[in-house]
Amino acid sequence: MSQFLNIFAPPRDLILVVAAIWVGLYFAEKWAPKHGVKLNDLNNIIFLPMIGYIIGGRLLFAIENFSAFAKNPQSLVSLNLDLFDPSGGLLIAGIVALIYGQRKKLSLWPTLDALTPVLAIFAVGIALSHLASGSAFGKETSLPWGVELWGVLRHPSQIYEIIAALLILSLLWFQKPGQHPGVYFLNYIGLTIGARLFLEAFRGDSVIILGGLRLAQVVAWIFLAMSLFLLGGGINNISKVSIAQRKRSRK
Amino acid sequence: MQHIQRRLSYTLVLITALAWIFISADSSGTPTAGEIPAPRQNFLAPDFTLDTTLGESITLSDLRGQSVLVNLWATWCGPCRAEMPAIQKLYDEYKAQGFTVLAVNMTYQDNPFEVVPFVKEHNLTFPILLDETGEVGKKYQLRSLPSSFFIDSYGIIQEVIIGGPMSEALLRTRIEALLEN
Repeated sequence: MSQFLNIFAPPRDLILVVAAIWVGLYFAEKWAPKHGVKLNDLNNIIFLPMIGYIIGGRLLFAIENFSAFAKNPQSLVSLNLDLFDPSGGLLIAGIVALIYGQRKKLSLWPTLDALTPVLAIFAVGIALSHLASGSAFGKETSLPWGVELWGVLRHPSQIYEIIAALLILSLLWFQKPGQHPGVYFLNYIGLTIGARLFLEAFRGDSVIILGGLRLAQVVAWIFLAMSLFLLGGGINNISKVSIAQRKRSRK
Repeated sequence: MQHIQRRLSYTLVLITALAWIFISADSSGTPTAGEIPAPRQNFLAPDFTLDTTLGESITLSDLRGQSVLVNLWATWCGPCRAEMPAIQKLYDEYKAQGFTVLAVNMTYQDNPFEVVPFVKEHNLTFPILLDETGEVGKKYQLRSLPSSFFIDSYGIIQEVIIGGPMSEALLRTRIEALLEN
């Protein structure tokens, strides 16, 4: 364990995330035809938003901290990973994906199904990087499997996260593609959000809101409700539109 | 029928999840990080006392009320050398506003005779501390050089930057955030 922590200590923990994207992409490419998604489209819908994430995150950070960059404009191309706005980057990545999807007339649900292996393996990579960097650490516990961290026994929350991500990945691995496009993706989302909602309770770094509630759990519950609504019937209506779109695009 | 069963089970899942949120609420209302000393964001910066190159003794906790950048470095480390001029420039710019730098040389894994010439060569005016036993390296769980810890006036670590060199803009954004706190 200590060897793993030494090898992947920050900032090298990012290697785990990049490796996970690479492995996820390998499997997504293998399974994309099952979902009726072309390999070229699959690669583009991953790489173009990634480029958007990197450039958008840096540019938005520079806009937010304009005075610092005005005094030192060459920092705009600095290799410092911390000169970055992650949520802004995600927003730009989402916009790039939407524009690409619209221009190529990609069907939403089959595309999301095809991307699911990337997301599932990416989640394993993120969990491993949390373990390597010590992020997402656990709260204090007296349970026998607690790990000593900073002088107290804590829940091994990163190990819980890795186990959950691997379990979800193995469940998806053996799941046959559903009749309705989107069910495969929504199952993944529901399981992942459910796991986050459950495991957040053991974290020591939660953002606490009114009444001691954990913000991540409240947000996760809202997304869980949305994914269950879609799985419970909402997807049928959306899928009909999606299947019709696919038939039209094949013609 | 199957439809109704599915909807019922989903409703049950949501009710259980809601109950779990309330059961697992943190009644203390504070994150575990609290005031435990650890080299992590939102934790209390581990305290230390070291001698400077001028023979003066400096204790980190004595600097409460000031914003502090603790920079762990060595003369053989290229990125450490590269970021020193930017640190010096911003130290000059912000020291009047209550910002200070403690550049802790990892003397136990460096050549002590190269430290002073390096300081003179770069005209560094902030305190250069010598960690001869590895005490600070151990307390700050040093794995990569340089490692920088931005500590607010309450002694809480607000940001950890592992690796470098830190650009001027990066330093400026973090220092300004510290001073705003």
